[in-house]
Amino acid sequence: MYQSFIGLEIHIQLLTESKVFCGCTNRFGDEPNTNVCPVCMGYPGVLPALNEEAIRLSYIVARTLNCELSPRAIFERKNYFYPDMPKNYQISQFSSPLGRNGWIDIEYAGKPRRVRIHEIHLEEDAGKMIHAGDMSLLDYNRAGTPLLEIVTEPDMEAGEEAEILLQNFRRTIRYLGVCDGNMEEGSMRCDANVSINLEGQGLGRKVEIKNLNSSRFVKMALNYEITRQKELFGKGGKIVQETRLWNENRDVTEPMRTKESAHDYRYFPEPDLPPFIPGAEFLAKVDKGLVELPEARKARFVKEYGLSAAAADFLVAEKATADFYEQTVKLGAAPAAAAAWLQFDVRKILNRDGKELADCPLTAGRLAQLLSLLADGRIHGKIAKQVLEAVFAEDKDPGQLIKEKGWQSMSDMSQLAALVDQALAANAAAVDAVKAGDRKPLGFLVGQIMKQTGGMAEPRLVQELLKQKIK
Amino acid sequence: MIHSMDVSELKITAELANLDLTGEDLASLGNEVEKILDYFSSMMEADTAGLAAGKAGSAANRLRPDVRTPGDADALLENAPELEGRFIVIPNVL
Ligand SMILES: [Zn+2]
Repeated sequence: MYQSFIGLEIHIQLLTESKVFCGCTNRFGDEPNTNVCPVCMGYPGVLPALNEEAIRLSYIVARTLNCELSPRAIFERKNYFYPDMPKNYQISQFSSPLGRNGWIDIEYAGKPRRVRIHEIHLEEDAGKMIHAGDMSLLDYNRAGTPLLEIVTEPDMEAGEEAEILLQNFRRTIRYLGVCDGNMEEGSMRCDANVSINLEGQGLGRKVEIKNLNSSRFVKMALNYEITRQKELFGKGGKIVQETRLWNENRDVTEPMRTKESAHDYRYFPEPDLPPFIPGAEFLAKVDKGLVELPEARKARFVKEYGLSAAAADFLVAEKATADFYEQTVKLGAAPAAAAAWLQFDVRKILNRDGKELADCPLTAGRLAQLLSLLADGRIHGKIAKQVLEAVFAEDKDPGQLIKEKGWQSMSDMSQLAALVDQALAANAAAVDAVKAGDRKPLGFLVGQIMKQTGGMAEPRLVQELLKQKIK
Repeated sequence: MIHSMDVSELKITAELANLDLTGEDLASLGNEVEKILDYFSSMMEADTAGLAAGKAGSAANRLRPDVRTPGDADALLENAPELEGRFIVIPNVL
């Protein structure tokens, strides 16, 4: 009988070389206060200038999330006095953000759902503060780095749905290459808001939740908060419009002490930055940055390569894997074989060695070569796995490894036939047993020949020859 | 002329700026802020019809390429009243 309404505010740090309004390095983990200059430290008399890559990446996200693009994106000063911002204001967007009225499609509880995007705006990130006893330590390396905020409409109803949206969004931004989406390091951050009301009564009083450092916490905090509000509502209590913090040690949300006046930001247009007007040339550059998204790619993989949904799901989870796969197929590998090898054998080695596909000795060219050697019968299955291991261990091409190690499979029929004859002569009892209808010794005989050839005989051919000869 | 700033508005503004103002401060600041407001109101009387904010003098976007131009961070740190390693130290404000 209750309805819940969940909205998210997602912040992502854009992967630029430099900060959004100055030339300082944009990089996580440097020594404190090494990437600072008079602009981002708020010195008087400086002039910010907009980073063209930051604004391009922002519009790529806005286009991808189906937003209406602002013909005049205006930068505004959001005034607040807190030491994480040396200027006493944050350059942000308010009256005319760069994107509005978009949407993200997700699948939740087996049904397609459309979550609307209220707006997307570009702003500068704040510095970092460490509270230590009676003092605070300030690091302004992050101050002025480009931060994109995506605000959804309150279109979701459960913590699980918000988690799916976040995971879907994260995959998308990683596909676009605009952000690495690392919630632990804070390159992607999320605040949530939730209200409940009696069915059909519209939105309730909104409670905001902060301090959500993973998509799992987002889910847990929202579900906790929905239950809390329902219980309060049920007892005739009044829900207060407030900001609460997720306490990850106790798995509860707790009220955050804030001053009411803290939300009076007195926005006004940033006089040092002209509005940004996206022209045709700029928008063409934005279009170049658009990529096929995971969901669409998955559907195409199923249709074009005849893969199962599970295999396609695995391949598209990371763009690097999907690109690697398509490259391998383009180089002549059979789509099903390439998918299976990536999903099982290659993944097993990567997991074991703690390596990434993008950063390992296996290339699409090498996998395609290995699969073609296998398909042509030049090596057999067991050897192919050995070759794969060798590629990882020695960083060489499969063809070269096979030659060096003498791993070519023995498929010369007359040579094999001679070996089979020898084996038959040496194992008369086994031959008799097969003739009498027992098929088991057949495996034994194949094993004898494999052993004799150091595993190089093509087992399929050996088996065929044995069957022909024992009749 | 815009209305002069009343004291309650001044108090809220001071609070937003984390300033503790005494009655005396309020009186003297009140006069000064009023002068600023007068200045703005005379600017607002200028005829700006047909001029969009931010458009004047800038037909094209003003962008900078995404290039690192590191400055002299150490020199800036020397201006900090107190340091702990490379951190700037301030009294705790939670
Ligand atoms: Zn800077």
